[in-house]
Amino acid sequence: MSEHSSQPPAPEPSTGPPDRRGFLLTTGVCGLAAAAAGVPLVGYFLGALRNRPVEWVTLGPVGKFPVNEARRETFVNPIHQPWDGMAANTACYVRYLGRDEQGQDQFWVFAVNCTHLGCPVTWSPQAGLFLCPCHGGVYYENGEHASGPPPRGLYRYVWRVRDGQLEVQAPHLPTLQDTLDKPSEVVQLGLRTRRPRSDSA
Amino acid sequence: MKRWLRAVGSWFDARLKVREVLLPVLQHPIPRAAAGPKGWFYIFGSASMTLLFLQILTGIGLALVYVPAADQAYQSLQYLNYRQPLGWFLRSVHYWSGSLMVVMVLVHMTQVFLHGAYKYPRELTWVLGVFLLLLTLGLAFSGQVLRWDADAYWGLGVGASMAGRVPVLGPAVVTLLLGGPVIGGDTLSRFFALHVFILPGLLLTVLAAHLWLVLTRGISTPPVPGEKVDPKTYDAAYERELRRGVPFLGEALRKDALFSALVVILVVVLAAVAGPKGPSGLPDPAVQGANPRPDWPFLWTFGLLSLAPPGMETFLMLVFPAFLVLGLLLVPFVSNRGERAPSRRPVAVLTVLVGGVALAVLSYAGATADWSPHMGAWSGAPVPEKVVARSAPRELAGAAVFQNKSCRDCHALEGSGGRRGPDLSGVGARLTRDQLIDQVSNGTPGGGNMPAYGKHVSPAEMDALADFLVALRPAGRPPSRTPTQ
Amino acid sequence: MGAHRWGGMVVVGLIAAAGCDPPGKPRPGDDAVRPEQVLDFGKLYAQNCSGCHGADGRLGPAPPLNDPLFLVIVPDAELRRTVAEGRPGTPMPPFDQAKGGPLTAEQVRVLADGIKRRWHPATVSPAAVPAYAAASPATDGESSARGIVVFARACAGCHGDHGQGSDAGAIHDPAFLTLCSDQALRRYVITGRPDLGMPGFSPSFGRPAGFQPLSAQEVEDLSALLASWRKDGTGRSAAAAGTVARGGFPLP
Repeated sequence: MSEHSSQPPAPEPSTGPPDRRGFLLTTGVCGLAAAAAGVPLVGYFLGALRNRPVEWVTLGPVGKFPVNEARRETFVNPIHQPWDGMAANTACYVRYLGRDEQGQDQFWVFAVNCTHLGCPVTWSPQAGLFLCPCHGGVYYENGEHASGPPPRGLYRYVWRVRDGQLEVQAPHLPTLQDTLDKPSEVVQLGLRTRRPRSDSA
Repeated sequence: MKRWLRAVGSWFDARLKVREVLLPVLQHPIPRAAAGPKGWFYIFGSASMTLLFLQILTGIGLALVYVPAADQAYQSLQYLNYRQPLGWFLRSVHYWSGSLMVVMVLVHMTQVFLHGAYKYPRELTWVLGVFLLLLTLGLAFSGQVLRWDADAYWGLGVGASMAGRVPVLGPAVVTLLLGGPVIGGDTLSRFFALHVFILPGLLLTVLAAHLWLVLTRGISTPPVPGEKVDPKTYDAAYERELRRGVPFLGEALRKDALFSALVVILVVVLAAVAGPKGPSGLPDPAVQGANPRPDWPFLWTFGLLSLAPPGMETFLMLVFPAFLVLGLLLVPFVSNRGERAPSRRPVAVLTVLVGGVALAVLSYAGATADWSPHMGAWSGAPVPEKVVARSAPRELAGAAVFQNKSCRDCHALEGSGGRRGPDLSGVGARLTRDQLIDQVSNGTPGGGNMPAYGKHVSPAEMDALADFLVALRPAGRPPSRTPTQ
Repeated sequence: MGAHRWGGMVVVGLIAAAGCDPPGKPRPGDDAVRPEQVLDFGKLYAQNCSGCHGADGRLGPAPPLNDPLFLVIVPDAELRRTVAEGRPGTPMPPFDQAKGGPLTAEQVRVLADGIKRRWHPATVSPAAVPAYAAASPATDGESSARGIVVFARACAGCHGDHGQGSDAGAIHDPAFLTLCSDQALRRYVITGRPDLGMPGFSPSFGRPAGFQPLSAQEVEDLSALLASWRKDGTGRSAAAAGTVARGGFPLP
């Protein structure tokens, strides 16, 4: 550039600080670009939190379950990806309590996940206890906490009887603030819907 | 030929400016003492980096075969183990190199801490180093998840259960962590992205900044008792030190290279002898009898959480780690001047000793996990033959009840069985029959460790069980008559 | 040794290592197996039975399975049924998943059949052994009354005149008897507990010279007597428990 210094320099475009308007315009366009690309991106990352429809799984005819005996049942969780493989399998403990005074079938359906840190509990029919292999959490046959570190009893599935079949609500991974049978705080925030247990046939 | 090569070299160098940029970097002066025998303290950082590069190489190799999809990950790991030529070896090197990288980073930090090398003007180098440690641990955990087996599956469950305790936001955090409401393909993909893109990307970026600071602010001189760091005078003194320094390209680099090479050889030997880790049980939550254990870098947390009183748990899971990290980050700001020699810094030495012992003890506790019941002991741990041989019929029936009610899962006999409760081999000399019956019926008072069996033991079973327990005492010892507690 | 020699050795070592299997190389047998796919008798027995029946089928609190006489008389179907369904009321639990146990029907079959395969004696036993199962499950008062005579002849020597315990432990004991099925009592009468030195129905170790084997009827009567004791007693008082005669045998 300096080779052409023989000619008087032409008045250069303003080299001082950009004027206020130009600055705001540039900032605005950059902001718009960031929002246009960023908002969908954030939405994508939060997509895991979207609402999911409630689904039911059939565990089998009521007659399959002996009265007052806990049975381990396994099923494929409808909440799964086609590529989940074995991880879509789920286990729970079902205990048929017989019929109540109104002639309704009554069940206890417990998640296998220990309420302490989520390890899978094992039912010991002889001891009448659920035992957790990780830290020795123990629960009574009705799911109540018996001993060890768990802060509460076993998580209960939402269930219903339809056409003589025991059905349970497809479970998410239960945690202390997001149990399977109670609407949690988050549900009220609208992040996930769980219908309360109401419609046993 | 030589001239021709040199011509090609200069052609490229005129465009790449390697000589101008890289040579000064390699030849940057370091304090003379750091190139002497004390230079052997300075080898751990470069060894960590060498292991990182080995991780990247083997990681890329594994990524060529591994399938990060929940339905095929396990199969692809088996393929690596048995079919892919040297696949098992690459998995093995990746595991052992990663393990040693965690060790090396910790050793490096300990050395820097003990030598006060984090003090002025290297505070930010330390801070970045703390982030490198966290990223290394993050890679260790996410790597464990990619070994998509039962430990990985239930380890995620444990992680989710901890995250679920975050006040209010817990459930949302769990869902974001798992990529959905359950542990599955979304979770594996997420951790694959973390392990392969996000964490290594962050690690390399932070590492670049860390190295930049090492170059610009130089490495510290080996500490000399009495030579105190004073930010006002330090820079000038260090400048003088460098003027009589030696280039890094030389003795220091030779030490680094030698140690790194030895570490790599150690990794290869460990990999060949000890083999890859897992995959263990199938990633199928419907399979009974899973007994998840974390990889060794996290055994200490397993131990800590298990030994701490339940009331402290949520604090230990959520607040304590944050405090720990904050404490590490604040180290150079709490003390960025003064003595650097360990011999003049008893608090620092004590901190390292206490921290190291605590980590070792908690890791050992986590590895033995005495608090975990042995779920198969009731049917799989034989009642000691000498106990059987000396027992009356009713005591034998009691022994069968003892096994049948799963007492053995928590109580050992002659050292075999669970260790959650006390070994009952000599209980008859400690507790009276009535005390035993009370303990079995009502459990630990106040809902402690032992559940109440009252409703599940018939009178005949209780009679026989009590006789069996009373008879469990050393030969010649009378049964306990009075309470001993 | 020169550096070249070392280098050469390393190269040779690497080539050798590539050719053979280092100890760390996984073997397909190390693979995780689904619990329901374990069909090896030894593993299944160790995991599910050894706790009560002993590591080698003897010297456990439960009746020994490694007992030639027992294996000769017990029908296969009965063995399978017991493993699958357990003995309600006793510490023997059901093992079949259909009954709430941990094992598949196939695993139950492997276990029951494996017991005979592993411990069945090579020599065939005398035909005069009383049948495993009682001819008539119902026991009458007359039978148990006749049992008193049989008891005096065959049992009182060790267990005391009334089964209260002497050299051997007490068996007139409601708790013990309640936790034993009728079938188990009958089986003890026939086979004894050879692992604990208790003789069976026939003249053998521990029997006086000239001991006549128990007849099928005597076995029936004795079992009826023991079963009747289960119902009559109220059990020992807790206070007396510590002083009662202790039984047991030295290891044979």
